[in-house]
Amino acid sequence: MVEYRLDCLGEACPVPLLKTQKKMAELQVGDILVVEVDHSCAMKNVPEWARKEGYNVEIEETGDGEWDIYIEKTK
Amino acid sequence: MKKNAIDKEENVVETKTVVTNRAAVRPRKKRRNQLPFAIVVFLGVIYVAYLLAGKSAGLAISWIFGICFGVVLQKSRFCFTAGFRDPILTGSTSLTKAVIIAVAIATVGFGAVQYAAASKGGAIAGSISPAGWHVAIGSIMFGIGMVISGGCASGTLMRVGEGFVMQWITLFFFVLGTLWGVRHWAFWQRLFFDGAPRVHLPSVLGWPLAITLQLVVLGALYIVADKWGNRQKD
Repeated sequence: MVEYRLDCLGEACPVPLLKTQKKMAELQVGDILVVEVDHSCAMKNVPEWARKEGYNVEIEETGDGEWDIYIEKTK
Repeated sequence: MKKNAIDKEENVVETKTVVTNRAAVRPRKKRRNQLPFAIVVFLGVIYVAYLLAGKSAGLAISWIFGICFGVVLQKSRFCFTAGFRDPILTGSTSLTKAVIIAVAIATVGFGAVQYAAASKGGAIAGSISPAGWHVAIGSIMFGIGMVISGGCASGTLMRVGEGFVMQWITLFFFVLGTLWGVRHWAFWQRLFFDGAPRVHLPSVLGWPLAITLQLVVLGALYIVADKWGNRQKD
């Protein structure tokens, strides 16, 4: 299991989601991607997409208006 | 990638999932309590409403409606840009469906307001703009702009308030561009708007047919959006 971090701080929609989609394609099953975002819409649409794909997702608010989105590639 | 059946369920999107084998959480930054700011801002909003009410009741009502609209926009993360952009770029249509529902509700609401005004013999409320090819061309230009800049007018304003600095640049140039447009308004007016017809569907088709037609079209769009959002990816 490897944990990757993806820095999307300061990026507006739809950039965080597009970056996440690209990065997730490179991951092996069991790996975890941590997406750092500070755009409230990305905090909504990145987890929505990941859950639709069937991945496990958790959101952690690390500061005011900053979030870590944990995505586990399950398949 | 084959999707299993449960993925097609709409509500699965909101269910909680737990990431196993997770490394330690990044240490939280020290967070300031925002409640005092909220109280100050809330009292400020009321005070401004009070000042505006001294000038005219309409201004105060507009102010309160504006604030409420902003709160709803921020909390719901409603985004017109995403509604039009996501189906193509990311394959998600949840905001597209939200926009369609919003337009459907507005259709009924505006229909009622306009019908009430028209049946009393008054002028029809709302901005009924000249329709023509210039609308399509302008819409495409606006669409390109809003996808690049990350928000339409309302979305940009909401994110400016939220503190997303990139959108401050967007707002600056939004205002600049609008002022530029106003400066040359007479030119555009002469070229496009004067010759274009102003179409108000209920006046042409009658109220029941116009409202029904609009709702049927919106319903059809909703079904298409739903199908598009749940389509199989390979």
